[in-house]
Amino acid sequence: MKLNFPASAAVLGALPILLALTTAGCGKEVVRGSDDPSIDARALSTGLDKDDIQRALHETLNNLRAAPIMNEWRSTNPPPNVAIFPFQNSTSEHIDSMLDALLGEAETWLVESGTVQVISRERQTQMIREVEGQAQPVFNPAHAAQYGKQLGAKYFITGKVSGNDERSENMRRVQYFLFLQVIEVETSAIKWQRKTYITKAVK
Amino acid sequence: MARTSRIERARRLLARARRVLPVVALVATPWLTGCGGHSARTLEMRTALDAGNAKGAIKALDDELDVKDPKDLPADIKGDNAILVLDRASIQQGAGEFPLSKRDFEAADKSIDMLDLARNAADSIGEYVFSGSVGRYQAPPYEKLMINTLNMLNYLETKDLNGARIEARRLSVIQKYYRESLDQKNNPVLGLGSMLAGFTYEKSGETDEALRYYDEALAFTGFGTLGESVRRLAPQGSYRSPRIKALLGEGEKDDKTAPGGPAPAANDDTGEVLFVVGYGRVAHKIPNRIPIGLALTYFAGSIQPHDAAAANKLAAQGLVTWINFPSLAPGRGKWDIPGCQLDGRYVQLEEAVDVDREVRTEWKKIEGKIIVSAITRLIARAAVGQGIQTAAGRDNIIGILASLGTQATLTALDTPDTRSWETLPARVAVARMRLPPGRHTVVIDARGWKRTQDVVVEKNSWQVVSLMALR
Repeated sequence: MKLNFPASAAVLGALPILLALTTAGCGKEVVRGSDDPSIDARALSTGLDKDDIQRALHETLNNLRAAPIMNEWRSTNPPPNVAIFPFQNSTSEHIDSMLDALLGEAETWLVESGTVQVISRERQTQMIREVEGQAQPVFNPAHAAQYGKQLGAKYFITGKVSGNDERSENMRRVQYFLFLQVIEVETSAIKWQRKTYITKAVK
Repeated sequence: MARTSRIERARRLLARARRVLPVVALVATPWLTGCGGHSARTLEMRTALDAGNAKGAIKALDDELDVKDPKDLPADIKGDNAILVLDRASIQQGAGEFPLSKRDFEAADKSIDMLDLARNAADSIGEYVFSGSVGRYQAPPYEKLMINTLNMLNYLETKDLNGARIEARRLSVIQKYYRESLDQKNNPVLGLGSMLAGFTYEKSGETDEALRYYDEALAFTGFGTLGESVRRLAPQGSYRSPRIKALLGEGEKDDKTAPGGPAPAANDDTGEVLFVVGYGRVAHKIPNRIPIGLALTYFAGSIQPHDAAAANKLAAQGLVTWINFPSLAPGRGKWDIPGCQLDGRYVQLEEAVDVDREVRTEWKKIEGKIIVSAITRLIARAAVGQGIQTAAGRDNIIGILASLGTQATLTALDTPDTRSWETLPARVAVARMRLPPGRHTVVIDARGWKRTQDVVVEKNSWQVVSLMALR
């Protein structure tokens, strides 16, 4: 079969133009989560996102609700002072802001429960600055009991996250082991602890 | 009559124009789309850096990334923009904008990893058939290791040990992947990364982890200053390796030449300062277009016999037989000597890594493959051209024109892959010093870039002072 050349050349000529037009950049759209809830559902990286935090908290706080320490708090009058200290992040991901958000949610839950007096985080930051000095005013988990005492807290809530990060030729997987704890300041005894597992992967 | 003949002539011209138009469109499209390759996108940045203008370089990158402010990330960081963000991260670090540099490094780190994981056979096929830069970017090992190394430095500069530990862990994940999955054991870049990771863990109070990293750093040359740190730290930990034992002189008590000796007192009033100086820039890639005949001469050793035979046949045609491939441009400033002064006295810097040498070594490993893929693309283009000519008829002049036009267009569309992290320092040098308490002045000077920093030393305090002179 003989091709009609001008027609085939026209098609060939049009192809690169079409290609150029289609690759010349499609406009991005800004979407509101309340209009399109599906945007929260997709995992975009191996870090922690809102969905991970909500799942982890749902399970953990339900457990705390029924824990003996919560019953003790309910029956204590006046309610004990509780401080909330940052998570210890031992993973390979920069998830500190999400861990702060997690503690913020836990703090809200505790305040709403009305069983304890939660010490404001601003005061805690001030205390950390006093204990650690101006040169390095960062939270040191080893000094948590000292902060607690100086804040007049009977308990503090904190947590730690460990991670197992592995990479192969076509996959990167991070397994998170998240622990939330209630620690008695005076004795450093762990009065309650709950673990949650979260796995994220890029494949 | 004359009027009818003019109309007839105009009709014929129009018909001819209709036939030629697609060919013109084919040839013009690459220029209309204006694709100059990655090195063209970064030309303005390099020019600004050459002039010592870091802010101008950042501005040039912002324009390329289509963002208004260095604080902004591009809307799309999934493609080649990730490399530009990486470039911006290095320059921000050189300009002392550590928080912005951190943010850029972290965004680019994830995107580069994502690109690497997403790469598949289609990318390789595209590179062999269509264009060298059509596939997704695959960062060479030294680039991936340097991302975490340099970002660790950002965290150490801002005294954020938690962030530095995260970068150290990320470095270890990638290192493990290269060592165990790809059997690449000794990348010299690891020396610097391990030294910084050891420093991070030492200052975090995790002695054994610090010793493990120092042990890795000691496997590479140029970390003599680690000796004192290891001797100071070792009595507090239990980690021992043959290298550390040799350094401590353990098991060699009778050997008078053993480098170890009694550990210096750990409880003095001194603090420690770590200096890190990067200078020059690694070789970036540049596009080349050379006739196939010349390529066959240059790269005779890299080409398989059957590829050479096909290419020779094409060379005999003498028309539109050019191959497009990248090569390395000369690096910059590698042979300069950086200066570091403490309270007016010079501090001896020691080379931690020659990144430029690593770039060249890695390039040598893949150069042959790149040339072969460029020749394969040439053969593919010739085949397409022949197909068009055959379809149109051997002696059809428009067929010949269309064949040539198609080959010329495909040649122009074949953009050599010049993508690379261009703002890596050519070399990095380090020094560590213990200083008495008080205020000290540090002046680091390299390639005309200068940083003056006052350091307040307290008992057991530490500080990292760096300069990335990417000129």
